[in-house]
Amino acid sequence: MFTRLGYFARETWVSLRRNILMTVAGVLTVAVSLCVLGGALLLTRLVDHGTAQWENGVQFEIFMKTDATLSQVQAVQTQLKNDPDVRTFKYLSHDDAYRQFKRWFASQPDLVSNTRPEDLPESFRVAPRTAALTSLVGNRFVSQAGVDQVNTAPESVKSLLDATRTIRYIFLTIFLALLFAALFLIVNTIRLATFARRREIEVMKLVGASNWFVRIPFLFEGMVQGVIGSAAAVGAVFGLQSLISSSISPTDPLWRGWYVGPGDATQISLYVILIGVAIGGFGAWIGLRRFIDA
Amino acid sequence: MIRFENVTMTYKGNVTALRDVSLDVGKGEFVFLVGPSGSGKSTFLRLLLRDEVPTRGKIIVAGRDVTTLSDWKVPQLRRNIGCIFQDYKLLPGKTVYENVAFASDVIGRPQHVTKSQVPQILDLVGLTSKLDRFPDELSGGEQQRVSIARAFVNRPLILLADEPTGNLDPQTTVGIMRLLDRINRTGTTVVMATHDSRIVDTMRRRVIELEHGVLIRDQARGIYGVGN
Repeated sequence: MFTRLGYFARETWVSLRRNILMTVAGVLTVAVSLCVLGGALLLTRLVDHGTAQWENGVQFEIFMKTDATLSQVQAVQTQLKNDPDVRTFKYLSHDDAYRQFKRWFASQPDLVSNTRPEDLPESFRVAPRTAALTSLVGNRFVSQAGVDQVNTAPESVKSLLDATRTIRYIFLTIFLALLFAALFLIVNTIRLATFARRREIEVMKLVGASNWFVRIPFLFEGMVQGVIGSAAAVGAVFGLQSLISSSISPTDPLWRGWYVGPGDATQISLYVILIGVAIGGFGAWIGLRRFIDA
Repeated sequence: MIRFENVTMTYKGNVTALRDVSLDVGKGEFVFLVGPSGSGKSTFLRLLLRDEVPTRGKIIVAGRDVTTLSDWKVPQLRRNIGCIFQDYKLLPGKTVYENVAFASDVIGRPQHVTKSQVPQILDLVGLTSKLDRFPDELSGGEQQRVSIARAFVNRPLILLADEPTGNLDPQTTVGIMRLLDRINRTGTTVVMATHDSRIVDTMRRRVIELEHGVLIRDQARGIYGVGN
């Protein structure tokens, strides 16, 4: 088994080097297309985190005073439940608020350790039936006992959400176009590789090598190109993540809640690598069909 | 070992290469396949290898019905058939040893089997002293010996030879024929397509003659041309 793997590794390496120019072109195209995808996914994450409280039609938040009594909180909850203009709402406890606080101020452990969950207010995220009802419904709660303030989503957040949707489509289109370019380059590389080794392939088929045995070195070759390309993209994703983290100050109230963590970068890297391997393997598969199955 | 039942092969464009051919070749037989160019010899060999499927009829090779064999089982069939050609088809970038070992490696035999088999086979074909030479450093006869070693290293039941002496001088040809005869004596069925009347007339083995795709002669201990 090990000698077999050694054989495949050797054949793959030889073939990659023989086609060095095509290999580099394929790797670079995979890298660029996956950088675009990784970057777009990371920015999307950033916007998602920054606007998390405004998802699903949430138009305003009701913040209770930190010393609001249980009955005051329950009164607001009951009123929300019975209000015909409220579509949905979500209650966030002291603990929920503390969890979010910890995430936002992850870079300032002193601040987090000096804050107790009770110091943070409970709140309700409210989605009215339509956006037009926002201020009407919001005003019904302003003067309720125990309510500190009612915050409506700023206009800037709404236009930002619209803009990111558009930008996401643009990035996706660029990514797909580049991905196809990468696929064609890999297909072409593998075709050249099978052509360069047509004598070996002829002999292998003649003596009865199984189809998989003939194919595997070429599939490896395609996948290696995908992996190297995606490795470059992974580097870019982590680079971008640390760039964003260092340029957004968590103390700036304008950017509160806007962050991308290493966890986000890791998850996105995983997608990027999977797509890289898949595109390499798929490209090789198409490239193989002509010479080997014919 | 080989059975053709009313085999007809028509290519696209209505060219009929074989017409209603029926024959039987038993285990351990040595058969010459003769006939002018275009008589259907190559098609006959390609059908045996399941490079192509006949238009009509049935072909049994080494106990398998080749006509209904699915694509992924073709490699298994070919492990029972060794092939040698007029142009040897050796890999120029590999040494004599590597060329033979390649055939053993790529069908997934363990390394230790390859390591013990290859020297034996190279000894059989008389090339033990040239293991590390490359094909272009060898004479035509030596290259054909390497090719025979490669075809035989996996111990096939059948050896197909397509004009194996076509590029060789008479003296070298005798050496190659002795080698094929020796392989035949191990119980391997040998089918050899040839134009070389001298070999056929000297060896006096079974002769199958094709003309325009029709089997016109099947003769035990035959000679190359009946009338000549």
